[in-house]
Amino acid sequence: MHLTIDGHTVEVEPETTILTALRQAGANVPTLCFDERQAAFGACRVCLVGVEGAPGPLPACTTPCRDGMVVDTHDETSRRVATAIVELVLSELPVAPAPHTELATIARSLGVVAPRWPGATHPVDHDTRHPYLAFQHELCISCGRCVRACDEVQGAFALTATGRGFTANITAGLDSGFLESTCVSCGACADTCPTDAITENTLLAL
Amino acid sequence: MFTRNEQCDTAAVSRNLVELVRRTHLSSAPTALEVLKAAVEEHGEITDEDRRAAAAASGLPEAAVYGVTSFYDDLLVVRGARHVRVCTGTACFAATGGSHVDALREGLGLELGERSDDGSVSLAETVCLGFCHASPAVRDGEVIDAAEGVVERVLSGATRAALEPEWVSMLDEGVLTRPGDWSGLTHALGVHTPESLLAQVKAATVRGRGGAGFPAGDKWSFARASPGEQKFIVANGDEGDPGSYIDKYLMERNPELVLEGMALAGYAVGADHGFILTRSEYPLSKPALEQAIANAHAAGMLGSDIGGSGFSFDVTVLEGAGSYVVGEETALLACIEGLRGTVSARPPFPAVRGLYGLPTVVNNTETLANIPFIARSGAEAYAALSPGASTGSKLVCFNERFARPGVYEVRFGTPMRELCEELAGGMRDGGKIKALQIGGPLGGILPASQLDVPFDFEPLAKLGCMVGHGGIVGFDERTDMRELTRHLLRFGAHESCGKCFPCRIGLRRAHDMFDAGQEVDRRRLEELLETLELGSLCAHGSGMPAPIRSLLAHFPDELGLA
Repeated sequence: MHLTIDGHTVEVEPETTILTALRQAGANVPTLCFDERQAAFGACRVCLVGVEGAPGPLPACTTPCRDGMVVDTHDETSRRVATAIVELVLSELPVAPAPHTELATIARSLGVVAPRWPGATHPVDHDTRHPYLAFQHELCISCGRCVRACDEVQGAFALTATGRGFTANITAGLDSGFLESTCVSCGACADTCPTDAITENTLLAL
Repeated sequence: MFTRNEQCDTAAVSRNLVELVRRTHLSSAPTALEVLKAAVEEHGEITDEDRRAAAAASGLPEAAVYGVTSFYDDLLVVRGARHVRVCTGTACFAATGGSHVDALREGLGLELGERSDDGSVSLAETVCLGFCHASPAVRDGEVIDAAEGVVERVLSGATRAALEPEWVSMLDEGVLTRPGDWSGLTHALGVHTPESLLAQVKAATVRGRGGAGFPAGDKWSFARASPGEQKFIVANGDEGDPGSYIDKYLMERNPELVLEGMALAGYAVGADHGFILTRSEYPLSKPALEQAIANAHAAGMLGSDIGGSGFSFDVTVLEGAGSYVVGEETALLACIEGLRGTVSARPPFPAVRGLYGLPTVVNNTETLANIPFIARSGAEAYAALSPGASTGSKLVCFNERFARPGVYEVRFGTPMRELCEELAGGMRDGGKIKALQIGGPLGGILPASQLDVPFDFEPLAKLGCMVGHGGIVGFDERTDMRELTRHLLRFGAHESCGKCFPCRIGLRRAHDMFDAGQEVDRRRLEELLETLELGSLCAHGSGMPAPIRSLLAHFPDELGLA
């Protein structure tokens, strides 16, 4: 099937998502909860794009392409909403994410500097008992990438989403930390984490 | 790694977890949620031992079980020997402005969610008990008491079970209030093929009664067309809307009609099993349905080869554990699977990949209760129930602020004024209607000046309101609209499933803007409402702005805006 992305015609296989199609076409939109090694999740809503005829912005990661679809990655409403979402995400962290992280990079690209939302942030909570993996829960944005990496890539099922609403977070095992969970220390969670909430302790740091 | 073509297969939690749950289901193991609910009933709180036992029994990983226990209200609250639950729904707010909650906290000397040191008593909030006709409502152990004086009765140990008003049909002959007698199913099995029954339901244009208004016949067609031997019918009895008690009446007074609708859906779609999820806030629903299922088995209306037709159908009843968003169809399926009740991106729609990954029809219980009439009398008779308006009839319910609160079966197209003033008798004690919230917490607020609008999908939508599920909460002139705004946003933020970022963070920020008594920056609020409305994954986040926008439009002077 054919679709138009930012004015260019692209040919894709049936059931391709808009995100895959636009990346194939050399276009891009930012994403936070997407990892191409995992099933799409549709949680961060930062990959919103304009689609001709749609009542509002659509998430590129979970929307399948249709023949003749006209996609605009620069759609003003979509970018405005995505930017506002990234600002909300920064506002839940008690400290700014490290400059090299995906979250910080995307915030910079969207021109979000300091969030204008005063109020509650995630409580600081560190789990550093594991020899190779450290978890700074206050940096977690519940994108679920670590849970899916653990379940889908490693098959260890050591991680879970916890809580709901603003208190949502991620934890290992029975909230007992990596050490007392079924974690096999593969590091897939740290590898995919976009905020450094989960990091691998380097040999130097040991 | 996965090929591109598989990327449309979005993940509820993770792909492998859902597959794991499906395999365990085939072995008839209990779900983790069922094991955990039993544990908290038995000893008042969830321990790690319970979590390990739930993991072992259900086949779910321990971490996933922990995730479940941190999601549902019923599993999070510690219970004393006497567990008191105070309703903080919108009807109870309209009745007291929240003073019944404060009075109970002070009287018991406990905060919400707290248990006394000696373990004798505990206090929790619950939304909502479905006694909106007699607010405020309190559940003391297994007894639900309501109406004026309830706090004093609870504090003096004199709790008594509240009574419910009879429901009333305004039709010449009730359709939804008529006791189900399986005549629709018997008739359909005699004269209809699955295809011709489906054609009747499509022709009847049964719009979903749960809130979204999506035509049931279309959902059925999609599920019927989906490849696969095993398909499911799911009745959504998770009527979480504060101020609604319509499905409560259907499930507890007319369970046969709901079950008959499910069986008819099964016949049309090619499914031989149904699930119905009830609410833990309605403790009588599950037993009523189970009794009706037992009776139906005895009468040969459920089970194998019904009436010698070759069609078999059976129903399993499950109960939720305290979560509003579980009323969303993908979250509902996750709850039935015993997982965290979070929303999944669609597509894939449940008709293609639903319960345990198999094609599933998810209909609201009231939607299904319409089907026996259509099966018996046809689409034309169904359309004639509400001349010149949407097809069929609708159950509505009124809160305690009205003179004659209760459940009424009405015709679409009836003016809201007639419903509120003639049926429900206007506000009690000579009060005046200030505004209505129709159809649940995501419904817009209709000011008294717009009461002449017909009760129907399109006319209400034009005013930023909706039919929704049909709950009508009236606010009288005592209502503080800023407090109402805060009440709605508190509910919205508490119930956010936490999956999509705009809803998870945005509803908390919106609530906080109204929380501390400071002036609200209107421009920033409107920006935030746009983010919620256009960015959210499901109707919870995208729908919460509707009532807030109505309040901004009709009561700006009362909201403390800057």
